[in-house]
Amino acid sequence: GRRWFSETVLVAPAPPASPLYPPVVASVTAKSKAAKSRRLQRFKERVHAAATVEEKLRLYGKLQRPKYMVYPQTFALNADRWYRSFTKTVLVPGMPPRAAAARPPAAAAGTTPEAGRAPELGAEAPGAAEAAKTAEAAAGAVPYLDVGELRSLACDALLQESFYQNKKRPFLYRDQDHTPGPFLTQLVSTLAAFLSGRNPLLAASSLDLNPQVNYYWHHGEEVVVHGHRKGRVDPVRFQIDDKPHLQIRVPKQLPEVVPLESDLGDVPVIDHKPSKLPLFKKQYENKVFIGSKVADPCCYGHTQFHLLPDKLKRERFIKQRLEDQIEVVYRSNGIASLFAWTAAQAMYQGFWSEADVTRPFVSQAVVTDGKYFAFFCYQLNTLALTAETIKNNPRKNICWGTDSKPLYDVVEDGNVKGFNDEVLLHLVRFLLNRPKEL
Amino acid sequence: LFPGVRQAQWLTKTKLVEGLPPAVQGIMDNPAHGLQELEERAKHAVSHARLWDTAEVAPRREKYCPVLFENLIHICRLMSGKYPSLTKRMLARNCRIAATWERESILLQVRGLSGILMNSMTPIPPVASKEEILATKEHVLETFYPIAPTIDLQEVNVYKEFNDTGQCFADGYPYSHPHTLFFLESANVRTDRFRPEQLRAKMLMFAFGNALAKAKALHGNDPKVLEQPVVVQSVGTDGQLFQFMVFQLNTTDLVSNDGVKNLVWIDSDQNLYEKAQCVPEIKKKVVTKPAGISGFQPDTFKKFLALYLHGTV
Repeated sequence: GRRWFSETVLVAPAPPASPLYPPVVASVTAKSKAAKSRRLQRFKERVHAAATVEEKLRLYGKLQRPKYMVYPQTFALNADRWYRSFTKTVLVPGMPPRAAAARPPAAAAGTTPEAGRAPELGAEAPGAAEAAKTAEAAAGAVPYLDVGELRSLACDALLQESFYQNKKRPFLYRDQDHTPGPFLTQLVSTLAAFLSGRNPLLAASSLDLNPQVNYYWHHGEEVVVHGHRKGRVDPVRFQIDDKPHLQIRVPKQLPEVVPLESDLGDVPVIDHKPSKLPLFKKQYENKVFIGSKVADPCCYGHTQFHLLPDKLKRERFIKQRLEDQIEVVYRSNGIASLFAWTAAQAMYQGFWSEADVTRPFVSQAVVTDGKYFAFFCYQLNTLALTAETIKNNPRKNICWGTDSKPLYDVVEDGNVKGFNDEVLLHLVRFLLNRPKEL
Repeated sequence: LFPGVRQAQWLTKTKLVEGLPPAVQGIMDNPAHGLQELEERAKHAVSHARLWDTAEVAPRREKYCPVLFENLIHICRLMSGKYPSLTKRMLARNCRIAATWERESILLQVRGLSGILMNSMTPIPPVASKEEILATKEHVLETFYPIAPTIDLQEVNVYKEFNDTGQCFADGYPYSHPHTLFFLESANVRTDRFRPEQLRAKMLMFAFGNALAKAKALHGNDPKVLEQPVVVQSVGTDGQLFQFMVFQLNTTDLVSNDGVKNLVWIDSDQNLYEKAQCVPEIKKKVVTKPAGISGFQPDTFKKFLALYLHGTV
């Protein structure tokens, strides 16, 4: 026979012979658990393989089924505990400690030092909270923020809306549109413009009036109660449709407050069905929206401002002897709105419950009824809240929040009495928040 | 019936000058203000208002016109990082204006919601020089004989002669000088919107009303030639077409037809962009018009910004 004297080229071991039969997998159309999981698998692959974010969002929300409508501004009792369990959020009272690169140093006269908040001045003298003024002056880093100027801006906005401008009487139950709404708009726009010199992120920001924020997600499982699908195990679907009064969107993300995997508390576990809150189901379009479409360069959120409607005002709660629920209203608004916003921002970047976020998304919110302000900061660490992805997910979302404090006592005869600088400074600090490199 | 501006000119005893005054032109041409870099942001502002602002496919005019205005004002306001005196401005929405004057023995009154008013603490310096003001003496107002100039005006029995610019505001208001009026024609249906010519006439009447009321507040009710002319600007838009106007009130003596006249500079029909395509137009599987804003005119935005900055820089 012939001898084949070929050069022995090191050849990789021959690829395994291609299988003669196609892989044996569960069927796609059968009515079996294996088929169901195979269908889910195919759906997930489709979403993973989607070319653009719009396509991903479209596939994510394609199937419409009845879902719970979660309202951030709600009168339900203890709604914030329920919302925390739906969104796997830990509530930390107070504000997060910040390595303040440029916190506004208090101008000389008449401002109280922020006792509870200990800012670290980075490389400079740490823990010198009281000596902040002198430390800043010595470092010469940041020019003084004139608190008097800020105070006069805020007072002018307040006086204009409540006193100087002759408006007609407010419409029935529309008190909030008459004075606090325009006041908030004026205040934020003038403060943002004033501070834009200090915060280049604000200078590139986009201000939305009455935007829409929507988010749709699954969390937990339930058995379908009645109907042609009775008896099947379905994920529990939620949708938040929020309309903040004002929001600021920026092109760069806010820095993370704590690392991605931190555990700062416990998420409440509630054994009841969500409909006991009360929450109601409806079936409509599954929207995910941060306030503008995906093509907008300002795709990260900075701060939202929420105005509480007339039916949730303090006097009503006091009359119904539910004083402790006043804070619950602010907290539930903060948690739900911020969760929806940050999660929608994460989805705009391509993350979803099967592709969890690789960096935390941070946003801030101010909830107010015109006089009392509560501040919230939210860090989204995980989007994986569905029944199977939540099993091995140690991450939790974190929300820092303060109680509501009044900005002023009363407006009389063209004077604002009892103006509270602390609240104003807090607002200013929120607006000055920016990534470290800027 | 008539091109409305001509009628408005007669009613307010005003001489028309085409184009914007040299002071505003100077602000536009001054490179130190950095107007070039803002072009990109202005384009984003337009795209946001016309394309991205809604979860539906395309926003309607009622939505995008105010949003566009807010975005442009936001960009202008952010300039106060550079010019701190810009913070001495305040926007007032939905303010009512009322002013009365006599014109050749016809009593005229301007009343109504004048859109959005921007006030400032300091007045705008007069735009025309003394010589130009005196030169208007020679100008003859065009009359519409045989048509009475008050045609198309509503005749009402006025029981109280209002004269407050305000008006909207109580005494002691720190931002007492009206700076610019903004008119947004944002009705969805075209017939509900003012046509450009009528919009310009409306802008002129309201600017005049504001200026007159301010002049009367400052100098009293007697008709006379003003030492310090009062300047009020006005911008009108329907979301795409912009009308710019600078009005200078030189005299409150409006009864006679001679003497010093008021001046108005009008720059009309400035397009900010040609077309805003929300979804790409595809004919026979080929994209003929891509999605986005086409034909963006940065000059229109520069004029808007220049009018905003006028008076402080």
